[in-house]
Order: sequence, then structure tokens, then C-alpha cells
Amino acid sequence: MQLTHDLELFPVYTVTQLLFRDVKNATELRKMAVNGEIKGALINPSMVVDAFQILVAANKAVHLHKIGKMKTRSLYSEIIFNLSPTNNISEAFKRFGISDSDSAVHIVLVHNKEETLNIDDIISKVDGQQIAVDQVSDLTDAAKIKKLYKVAPQEEKCGSLLDAVVCRMATKDVA
Amino acid sequence: MAQSNSLKASVPSYLKDAQLIKQGAEARVYRGTFLGRSVIIKERFPKLYRHPEVDEKLTRRRTTQEVRSILRCRRAGINAPVVYFVDYTTHCIFLEDIIHSVSVRDHIASEENPQRLQALADKIGEVLAQMHDEDVIHGDLTTSNMLLITGADQQHIHLVLIDFGLSYISALAEDKGVDLYVLEKAFLSTHPKTETLFERLLKSYTASSKKSSAVIKKLDEVRLRGRKRSMVG
Repeated sequence: MQLTHDLELFPVYTVTQLLFRDVKNATELRKMAVNGEIKGALINPSMVVDAFQILVAANKAVHLHKIGKMKTRSLYSEIIFNLSPTNNISEAFKRFGISDSDSAVHIVLVHNKEETLNIDDIISKVDGQQIAVDQVSDLTDAAKIKKLYKVAPQEEKCGSLLDAVVCRMATKDVA
Repeated sequence: MAQSNSLKASVPSYLKDAQLIKQGAEARVYRGTFLGRSVIIKERFPKLYRHPEVDEKLTRRRTTQEVRSILRCRRAGINAPVVYFVDYTTHCIFLEDIIHSVSVRDHIASEENPQRLQALADKIGEVLAQMHDEDVIHGDLTTSNMLLITGADQQHIHLVLIDFGLSYISALAEDKGVDLYVLEKAFLSTHPKTETLFERLLKSYTASSKKSSAVIKKLDEVRLRGRKRSMVG
């Protein structure tokens, strides 16, 4: 169901992703993320093309966290910020974080590999149905993503939407 | 988590286990696994013969230019490897590994069918025209920096440009002309007796680019300069 992946560059860390649909308590979940009850990034799945996109954002966030160069205040807000094609932090939260009216949520956790993560605790907090993370493509709003990331049809000649999104995420600081 | 462990630089220790595929004067190229995918890592290592401040500035500039040019090409539909991650502390670029490919250099050396070579020349001219129309100057055009995707689909030629380390943005016909001149020199010296093939490439370039006439004019001028050439006007 959930997807776990080690970060090759940071062997101490692991990224776990969980996906839920038919979520009824988005407002509560958002509050829990803000006050630290849920130690994870809550992301709007319609903006996610593939789990790989999340891994790229998480990898960059952990890297910047390690060298003390994050743009936001916490690792989880940094993951959300990294997904955005722009350098405006509040815009990133607005577009990629979950809002009170959302009915689906993609949760990203970064933790120590040795730490046994209490996933069930988090699952119990979500009033919704957990689905396999690779089903996130069913929830993707490709048109919205193309518009936000400004992906022209000609770019799709040389790669997938995921390629276009990941490339922009990786080059945002200099482009 | 021990603080001392987390402060240890992670990319260098990762590179120790990666497979070194090439060592050049500018950078080392590795192959590794990153987030479950096969990647190419280009490491611009510190040059001890340079003044450290100059080295840092120059290396950072080369890294950012490379990354910018790749994005610019992709936005225009020109095939270049996807950038997955850039570490500005060690100047490492993590790029998509283009598997099932062969360099154009190796392909030309082994390809015997002249028609297929002509189709390839047409395609190269087309892609370069597209790139120059985007005002991207590659800076190091050689047949080793072009990859041909090998696959069952023999109808369409898929070309990927790599190594944008010396690239920059410029609208000047002079810069584009020089870019083509670099390719011409590299092409003719690497592949003997291919003058007609290169001419075909230039014809395709001229037909595909909107601003080609100025560029070709400059190319002719540049050819008259260069080493061992008479500067009689």
C-alpha cells in the first residue's frame, strides 16, 4: 500500500509515502500537520504525477536541510516548496499543500531507517480510504499541472510530463 | 542520529560506490542509482592548479549554465537528459541515464548504409537548427556529444544532445556559426572522407532554421579565419 524508498545519498533516511482518497477531515489533518501531531508533509495529490516526483522533492529537501540552506522553516514545508516551480513559498503551500476542501491527501514522511515508524497511528488519524501510492496517477490533474509548470506541447516530444516537472524542480534555483 | 555522521558530506561517499565511466580534464562522469533509477553523475571536481576563489566561481558558473541550457533545450522539445538533482556544494549534476543508446560517433564509424547516414545527417541538421533557433549555443559540438537511441523503431531517428558544460545563451549569428565550425572540425577529423555528409547536414540545418542564412554566412567567414589561414581580406 504505502511506498517506502531509501535515499541513496543519505543512507540514514527513508521516505514513506501514503495516499488516501475520500478524505473527510482535511481541515483537521491540516491542523495536525501544523501543530506537529502528524510529522509529515501533506500534499495535494492532484498536483502529483508520480511517486518519483515526491522522492526528488524529498531528496532535495534533506540535502538542503543537511547543509543548512533550506528556504523554509522545516523539512516538511521544504518538501512542499520543492514541488513548486516558483520561488514563492506561500504560493507553494497554497497550491501543493492540502486545503480544507480537499478529499484526497498524499502524506510524505521522512524518517530514520532504524526507527520503527508507527504508520497505523497516522492511518488512524485520516478519515478516508488508503489506496496504493502508485494509484496517484489516477488523481493527477494533468491540465492543471501543465498550466502551472508552463509545459508546452512541444516539450512533450522529448519526454513525459513527469520528466518536465522533475527537470523544473531540479533546476528551479538557477533557471 | 549522531550529529557528526550527518555532517559528513554525503555525495562524495556516494560517489565512492558509483561506477566511474570517464575522467576528463573538467569533470568525472559516474553511473549510479538514484531514487531507484539509473543516473549519470557529472562531478566537476576542484582544480588545484587554479586559484581557489576563481575555481569556485568558474565551476559554479559552468554547472549552472549546463543546467540552464538543458532546461531551455527541453522546453523547446530538443532531447537532452533530464536533470534530477544538482548539488551546488560539490558541483555534481545528477542526470537521466540514456540507456539503449550509442554515440553518433560510434554509429557513423560502424554504419555502412549510406542512406541511413544521410537520414542521420538530416536529423542532426534539424536538431541543431532547432537549438540555435532557441539561442542555445552548445559550445562543444562533436559526434561524441550526440546520442542515438537504438531501438526497434527504425523509421524515426531519436537524437539526444549531451554535455552542455560549455554552453551559453546567445542570439548572435557569429556564435552559432562558431558552434557549427566546431562541429565541422570535429566531424571531419573524426570521420574521414565525410565532407558530403557534412554538407548534407548543413543543408538540412539551412532548411530547418529560420535564421540560417546569417549563420551560414558567418560560418564561411569563420572558416577563412582560424589556424593556418591567410588573413588577407
